[in-house]
Parts: sequence; structure tokens; C-alpha cells
Amino acid sequence: MPTQEQVLTALRKVMDPDLHRDIVTLGFVRDLKIDQGKVSFSVVLTTPACPVKDRLKEESEQAVRAIPGVDQVTVDMRSDVRPAPPPPGLNLVPGVRNIVPVGSGKGGVGKSTVSANLAVALAKSGARVGLMDADVYGPSIPTILGITELPTPGTKGIRPVVAHGVKVISSGFFMKPGQAVIWRGPMLGKLIDQFLSDVEWGELDYLVIDLPPGTGDVQLTLCQRVPLTGAVIVSTPQDVALTVAQKALDMFRQLRCPILGIIENMSYFICPHCGERENIFDTGGAERAAAEWGVPLLGRIPLATGIRIASDSGRPIILDEPDSSSARAFLEISQNLAAQISIQNMKETAEPALKISF
Amino acid sequence: MPPPTKPAPVEITRAGDRDVQIRWNDGRTVVYPARFLRMACPCDHCVDEMTGRRVLQESSVPLDVHPLAIEPVGRYAISLRFSDGHSTGIFTWEWLSHLAAELGQPASAVTTPNNPH
Ligand SMILES: Nc1ncnc2c1ncn2[C@@H]1O[C@H](COP(=O)(O)OP(=O)(O)O)[C@@H](O)[C@H]1O
Ligand SMILES: [Mg+2]
Ligand SMILES: [Zn+2]
Repeated sequence: MPTQEQVLTALRKVMDPDLHRDIVTLGFVRDLKIDQGKVSFSVVLTTPACPVKDRLKEESEQAVRAIPGVDQVTVDMRSDVRPAPPPPGLNLVPGVRNIVPVGSGKGGVGKSTVSANLAVALAKSGARVGLMDADVYGPSIPTILGITELPTPGTKGIRPVVAHGVKVISSGFFMKPGQAVIWRGPMLGKLIDQFLSDVEWGELDYLVIDLPPGTGDVQLTLCQRVPLTGAVIVSTPQDVALTVAQKALDMFRQLRCPILGIIENMSYFICPHCGERENIFDTGGAERAAAEWGVPLLGRIPLATGIRIASDSGRPIILDEPDSSSARAFLEISQNLAAQISIQNMKETAEPALKISF
Repeated sequence: MPPPTKPAPVEITRAGDRDVQIRWNDGRTVVYPARFLRMACPCDHCVDEMTGRRVLQESSVPLDVHPLAIEPVGRYAISLRFSDGHSTGIFTWEWLSHLAAELGQPASAVTTPNNPH
């Protein structure tokens, strides 16, 4: 009969490619049971959206099967999203494990489209997801997700609307259509505070935040109030767009918010007639920028009419046409994002937390 | 290339009765005298936002001024509540490492931020 030691030694050869450590060291292996030649165990990943789930399962199975005396291996793949390490000071959203703002240098680059599709993709993977539409200048999440109802009062605050498996709060819920609101700094700070502490988010693995474009009070307030796991920057591939995207990135760095990566939207064109991919723009812009800025490129999304049509009809493309190349791009990006979040949280744990005793 | 590790405090403690001691992530320890910190407050009551000139008058600050409490602000700064009732300043890591250099105890090589906020 194989020993526990033999099984763990075999599993130490299975590396998580993103976290650069083996799954035993990472503490992913649980519930190991050995019964004669039958071995069973769980591998608990850091996200249900793990891009290498199948590969890790296969490698674990093979590693254990190679041990003499083993004739049956059962691997149960599970996930448990690890929270970012506890922040200093008060936590306004204690049930939320990861807060991920999505920013851009300017408007119209597809930030809301990307935020909505990523949130739905993460929820589809089995994660508990919230989406905060903090773009007070042009809230569009209710339209993209086809939300017609309004949030209702809960027991302790506002209960978010649930759309396509995602808990949603939008600044649009609190504004009359067509009403132009002039926001001043302190008002924005108060709104963000309320969105964080008065909304019944409950337990969430990921809270995605659709930010206003550029750099301003919403971004500043968020960075001051809550520990952000890291920001995502959306840009189109043109140099001018990337130059303004860098301003957004610089602001996050200045506020010590890590950058999880950039997403290139409207990156290439898929011909609606023949399905051929055409690079109508200068390609590789975001890839070069990502290398220069030292951040991961999470992926590229094509310019595709289907994306706009799906958003206009209130069903994001990830649900409307799940087999389209656009939906697959979003799905892949959501997995890369989840992986970067796991990496970020491992890094943070390695970094000592600030101790203040005064 | 990933950005180099920026200076950040690891531990903030009391030095003597009222001074503030910061141990930085590069291993150095810097002691900030209490009144020096009050005089270095970067808030817009103490510094003219337009010109960047310090408007806080030395003579208006009690000689025995000292911090009563220190709170973290996000992951990039602390705020200090002083015994003279002043508490609006946000001391960023950049500003604090700049002040360390001013004290002749550089925390690490950092450039002077042109805006102390
Ligand atoms: N990849 C894409 N292909 C085609 N249309 C897109 C794509 N991304 C966004 N759009 C469309 O572009 C417009 C602006 O997108 P939006 O997400 O509202 O941008 P932002 O939030 O950055 O202002 C919307 O009409 C949206 O449907
Ligand atoms: Mg938008
Ligand atoms: Zn001041």
C-alpha cells in the first residue's frame, strides 16, 4: 500500500504555473485518503476561474498513478478564493474578498462592456461576484445587463439587484434619466462610502468596480477607503489611447494600488461575413505598453458588432453568444484576471503588514 | 521590467515620549521628532496649494506639540492627530521618505515629490 509520504512527494512535482510553487507547498492538497491501492484527494484552487484547472488535475492524477501499488486515483477539484490580507484600519466591506476596480484613461474605450462581461464570466465560473457601477458621469451597467428594476431596502442597507448571477449597484439607480448631475469631490466621496458600506454585498469573492474614466475623486476615495486587490486598465491599441491609459496607471501606482494588468479592447476586427481576423489597427500596442510598464497583458478583445448589439440588448455577449470568439476572449481574460488576483494575494502575504503601535 | 520596490514603512512606533520612529522596508530606522512632523504637515492649511509655500507659522505651533494618534490611510500614507488639534495632513510614504532625507537619515534613494500631498 502506498504511503501518504509517497503521495505527497509525487504531488510536489505538480507546479502551479502562475504561482510558481508546487501544489503541496501551496496547501492546495487536502483530504488525502489511501485505501489499499485506491488514492483520493482534493485539490483546492484559489479561484473557480483557474485557467489551468484541467492541467493540474491531469498532472496530479498522473503523478500519483505512477507510484507503485496505486491502481485508482480520484481527484476532486475545488476552489476557495483566498481573501486579500486584512487591511490596516476599519474594513468597510468585511465580506468582500477581492475588490478589483476597472479603469481607463478616457471614455468610450469599452470599460463598462469589459467590466460587465468579466463580472458575468467570473460568476459563471462559480465565483460569488458583485459589480459596482461607480461611473457617475455615464452609468451604463444597468443597460448592458438589462436591469429594469431598482434595488430594494434590505435589513441593514440597500439590497443590490441580481442580474445574470451578479449583484449589481449602479449610480444610475439613483439618478433620474437624462438628469445631469454636477458632482463635486465630497459628494463623490460620500457616494462611494455608501456604495461600500450601505450596500448588502454579503459574501463576495470578487467585487468588480466600473470606474469613471480618467483620474479623479472616485479613484482617490476608493484607494483611501478600502484595500484594493489591484486595478485593471482597459485601453484601445492606439498610441494616443495608451498614453492616457498610462496616466490612470500612474495614479493607481501613486496610491499604492497594485496593477493586475491591462486589457486591449477593440484590438482586431472579426469580419462578420467570413469570420476572418483582420488587424485593422496597429497591433501589439498594448503588448508593448504592458512590457514597458511592467504589468501583464490580460488579453485582447476584438472589435465586433456582436459585442455592441449584445450590450444594447441587455445580455452581455458572454451569455448571448458564448461560443463566439468575442465571448471566448472575455472568458480567457476572466481566467487570467483570476490568476493574477491569486498571484497578487500570495505576494501580499509574503509582504509584512504595516504595524502601528503609537 | 517590474517597478523596483518603493520605500514603505514596516513598523511605526513611539520613540521616547512623543517622537515617531519608522522602520522602513529597506531595513533603516528613522526617528521623526514630534514638532518637526507637525511643522512638516503637507495639508492645504499648512501649505499654499498654488505656490507650494509653507504658510504655517513656526510661532503658532506649541513647543510641546506631539502626535496623539496615528492611523493608516489606504496603503500609501498615514494621518497624524496632533495635540494642537490639527489632523488634516496625510503623510504619504513618499513625503515621509523625503522628510527622512531632510533629517539626514535617508530611508532610501527617492526623488523629492514636487507635491507633498
Ligand atoms: N470590442 C467591442 N466591439 C464593438 N463595440 C464595442 C466593443 N467594446 C465596446 N463597444 C461599444 O462601444 C461603446 C462604448 O463602450 P463602453 O463599454 O460604454 O465604454 P466606456 O465604458 O469605456 O465608456 C458601446 O456602444 C459598446 O457597446
Ligand atoms: Mg462606461
Ligand atoms: Zn496641516
